This record gives sequence, structure tokens and C-alpha cells, in this order.
Amino acid sequence: MKRIAKSKLIEFLKSKGELWVKTREGFQQSDAEAFAGRASKSVKNMVLPREETLLVFFKPDGKNVDYDEIYDDRKRILFGLSPCDAKSIELLDLTFIKTSPTDSYYKQRRENSVLVVLACNSPSKTCFCKSFGYGPFTELGDVFLVDIGDVYLVKILSDKGKALLEGLELEDAADAELAKLEELKSTAESKVQDIGIPKDIADRLYANFESDFWEKIAFRCVNCGACTFYCPTCYCFDIQDVERTNWGWRERTWDSCMFAIYSLETSGHNPRPTGMHRMRNRIMHKFSYYEKIHGQHLCVGCGRCVDVCPTGFDIREVVKQAAKLEVTR
Amino acid sequence: MFTKSTIENTGAQAFCDLIQEPKSANPYLPERARIVRKFDLTRDVRFFQVRLCDPEKVMCWTTSYKPGQFMMLSLPNVGEAPFSITSTPTRPGLFEFCIRKVGRLTSKLFELKENDFVWLRGPFGNGFPVERMYGKDLLFVAGGLGVAPLRSVLLYALDYRDRFGRIFYLYGAKTPDEMLFREEFFRMKERDDFECYLTVDADPTGLWPFDIGVVTTLFKYVKVDGRNTVAIVCGPPVMYKYVVEEFLKLNIPEDQIFMTLERRMKCGMGKCGQCVVEHKYTCVDGPVFTLWDVKNIRTLI
Repeated sequence: MKRIAKSKLIEFLKSKGELWVKTREGFQQSDAEAFAGRASKSVKNMVLPREETLLVFFKPDGKNVDYDEIYDDRKRILFGLSPCDAKSIELLDLTFIKTSPTDSYYKQRRENSVLVVLACNSPSKTCFCKSFGYGPFTELGDVFLVDIGDVYLVKILSDKGKALLEGLELEDAADAELAKLEELKSTAESKVQDIGIPKDIADRLYANFESDFWEKIAFRCVNCGACTFYCPTCYCFDIQDVERTNWGWRERTWDSCMFAIYSLETSGHNPRPTGMHRMRNRIMHKFSYYEKIHGQHLCVGCGRCVDVCPTGFDIREVVKQAAKLEVTR
Repeated sequence: MFTKSTIENTGAQAFCDLIQEPKSANPYLPERARIVRKFDLTRDVRFFQVRLCDPEKVMCWTTSYKPGQFMMLSLPNVGEAPFSITSTPTRPGLFEFCIRKVGRLTSKLFELKENDFVWLRGPFGNGFPVERMYGKDLLFVAGGLGVAPLRSVLLYALDYRDRFGRIFYLYGAKTPDEMLFREEFFRMKERDDFECYLTVDADPTGLWPFDIGVVTTLFKYVKVDGRNTVAIVCGPPVMYKYVVEEFLKLNIPEDQIFMTLERRMKCGMGKCGQCVVEHKYTCVDGPVFTLWDVKNIRTLI
């Protein structure tokens, strides 16, 4: 572990490129100090934005129209991601980069972003990241920082991180500072819950596909979709064309599996007609299907969905209840 | 999108060498194509023949897909939607689509004239495993618009007739007016090398010369050895249950009963999550599934 004064690091990063700092609300272009906790909006906004232009088309005479690609080639330094944000990016990579064909838009943003992860000193009441085998002080990203007051402790984890901090003079951390780190680490970790996800939860949910469990948990859901928009790992999207007089663009926007029109076909047939079906799909996608495809749960335990739900739906409770479900097969 | 492995077994090996690395690795960028012919099949279904504008791509695109795959067809300012390819890779040069006017995009498509442009992306999906059907009897059952993907594999089988056993084609429509490719099938009925049976639910014209009744009534003509038969069905969701019952009566194994399904799709590449059914993406792992899949993947039908 190395150390550097906070102001010095921020000055340095500012000189290195477009600096996006995580504040309490989310990522903003500023030179403020990063918030050492979980922001309300996740890093998904930076790699898979809410609206993203994929293609543009111009038709001056109505005939000679063709599509042009539009890429966001800005290089960004994402400063202060919490470990859960970094973990969610790892999960998104599985779908968008590691599964063929690679999503060129996501890949471009991802390659142009340097992840400077900041350990989470003050986890929220709803955090349960420990359940997924990592914690608020797990070293992730390209550069890993710990906020211990006036100083950041620094650890470089990748070549990208090394290139970013090239030319910055780092000092060795003092023993007192390392002791402070351990202290902060144990305080933070004690605040995070471990909800005890059973190893066989995928099969357990799968075996209870037809159970009335789903009706019960879906009862309080109003299908507003807030959980999916705040979720750092929910990646479902819609593609729409936007029309202007003689030009337009094709845009990718977030979509939510909680909406009734999400799976509605033009013929009128809806494979997931009720809230129960949609809830079941969301929970199963997070804890059963994704594991079948990629071997990991599609949840990082950030607890944002619990915080934003207008009816108090708690995914932790669902998992705890699911752990009690009987496996009948 | 095009790799040598996707075009193997489509009978297009000769064109393998023509496949070029795509200029752009952007899987969302569509390719411009021209409507070279269109005509109405029924009151609300129109047949489109389109040809890619880039002459270098025409042959490798139109020989390298599999019967049963689909393409994302789009119009600027309107949007994009998946459509089954109804032509066969054995007759290259053109893509054919059979499109019903139901929504915003299809209404705009119906306003287009010959020589207008559409944009294509794809092909996507798994398609029919035609190589697994070699040496077997084929039994096609189509209902209504379900003929679109089945025509592709039927024409494929007829073009490689020597690779297959007996071929039965059963097609049911609501009325004679609603029958797609009516004249084409009338003429095909005269062929000696396969058996084509057509039926209509009702005949207001009084001129229908063939069977009247639902498509399952045509099973009386089918004489196959079930164990050595591949059955393929596509039609409205209500039809599957009854047709599958008939297949099972013929002792056709569950993994030799193929069906092609529809879902709402946006990307076609297993990213957008719209078409997900359990842990399968209809656009990647489908749209062709076996009855075995259907029994094991809940909510597929």
C-alpha cells in the first residue's frame, strides 16, 4: 500500500483527463472529493447510459439515407466507485463483452474508462455485499483507494491503473495508516449484512417455479420499475428510433422487465402477462438464470432496490424466504 | 456475424472463401437493401423480395444463413423488428420476407414501393438443424402465417431432395383467401416427389377443391415411420398442443419435433433481455426449439 495526499491525487487526476467523481447522488464531472460510500445512482449510468445514441441517419432529399455509427470516444476517469460498483461492471462485462458478439458501444465506453475504486467506509443499512463473497474493502478495479482522512492509501491493480498514475510520486504508507485501514475495514464490514444465500438457491428457486411463493412476494409490487433502473446490474434495454424532420437517430434506452409492455408482442400475446410472472422473471434472472449462463448471481448486494422501492419490497427478505423453500424434486 | 461455422451445412461451402471480415464490428449497424419485388399474398400479408445494395455482400449474405433464422428489418425514423426469412439459402441472391401488417413498422413497410430501401441486420437465431434431418422423413405442419419460416426449410429440402426421405407438407388456413403462397402450393401439389395437403377452416367461396377443417384433419394422409421422422410445426400458439398430440401418436421422438417460436426482440444477440425465457434467449438459443426443450424450459409456449 502506498499513500498520497487527497488534494494532490485529485489535482493529478484532473490533469490526466476527464474526471468524473462519485458524489452522494452519483457520478458528476467535478473536482470534489469522492464520497466514500454507496452513491444513490450506480456506475451503470457511466458505462451503459440511460439513453445512448447508436446510429444517426440523415435524409436531405428523403432518399439518400444511410446509417452512420456514433461512438462516445471520450476517455473518462471514474473516480471513487464503491467496490459494489466495480463488481457490477464485472458482471455487465460478462454479457456485453465476454459473450459473443461483443457490444461495440459498451466495449468502447468500458475501455475508455479507468476505474478508480474507493473503499466503502460507510455502508448503508441496506447493504448486503458480504453475501456475495466480497466486501466494502475488497480490492477491485484498476486502482484501489482507501480514504483514511486527509490521505488516500493507494494500490495499483492493473496496467490501466499503472498508466493512469504514471508520473505520480507515491510514498510508502506508514504503519499507523495501515492500522487505521484495518480499523476502518472492520468497522465497515461489521455494518454490512450477510443474508446467507444458500449455495443451491438457483435450483431451489427453479424447483419452486410453480409455487405460490411468487404470488405472495409479487403482491406488494406495483411494477414501477424503479428497482431495475437503480440496479447496477440490470442491463435490459430497448432500441427506439427518434424522428426529426429530415434526420433522426437510433437510440438505446434502459428498459425494465417489470413493465407490462416489456414482453408484449405486436400480436397481443404477452408471455409474461401478470406482475407475478414479471417478478418471478426478475428474481430468477438474478439468482437462478444468470448463474446457469455465467456462474454468478446477477446481484451485487448494494441494496439500492430496497432503498428506492415505493412499497418497501425487500430483495433480502425474498432470498431469506427462498432459503426456506422446500425442494420437492 | 458471419463465420465459417455458421455457413457450414447450409450447402454453401463454395462461398466460404468469399466471406469477408465485416468492415465494422458494430453488430447494431444495419445493411442497406433494396426492395426488388413485392406483392400481396392475402389482404394483409405482403411478400417482399429484397437484395442487398452492396454487390460484394449479396452472395455471402444470401448463402450463409440457415433455414429458420430471422433478420432484424428496419426503417429509419420508424424502428426495427425481427422477421423470419422465408427464402432458402439454396436459392441465393435475394432475401424473401412474408410480412403481416399489424404495427407501426409493418404499416410503414406496406407504404414502400419497389426500389425503395430497407435495412437488414442479421441473420440471427439458431435455425433448423438441417443436417440432423438428413435421411429422415419430414413432416411439416403450418398454420396461418407460420408458413413463413417453414417455407424456407421446405424449399431447402426440395432443393436437396436426395438427402431426405418422404416429405409431407400440411398447411391450414382460415379461408382460401387467407392462404399464403396459395398458387405456389397449388402448383407444388402437382410435384411427384413430395406430398402437399392443404385445408381451410371454412370456405365461404364454395370453390375450395381440397379438405375443409382444422390442420389436424390432414394427419389421415400421413404415412410415416415415426421413429425416423422429423416433424416441424409453426403456427398460432393454440395450434401447437393439438398438432403435438398428433405427432406423438405417430411415435415421433420428442427431440425430432421442432417448433419455431416468437418473442419481442430488440437486439437479436442475447443482450437486451427482451426475449429471455428462463436462461435461454429466444434470439440466440431459438427461435427453433424441440419439444424436449419446450417440456424442460417452462413458459416457452
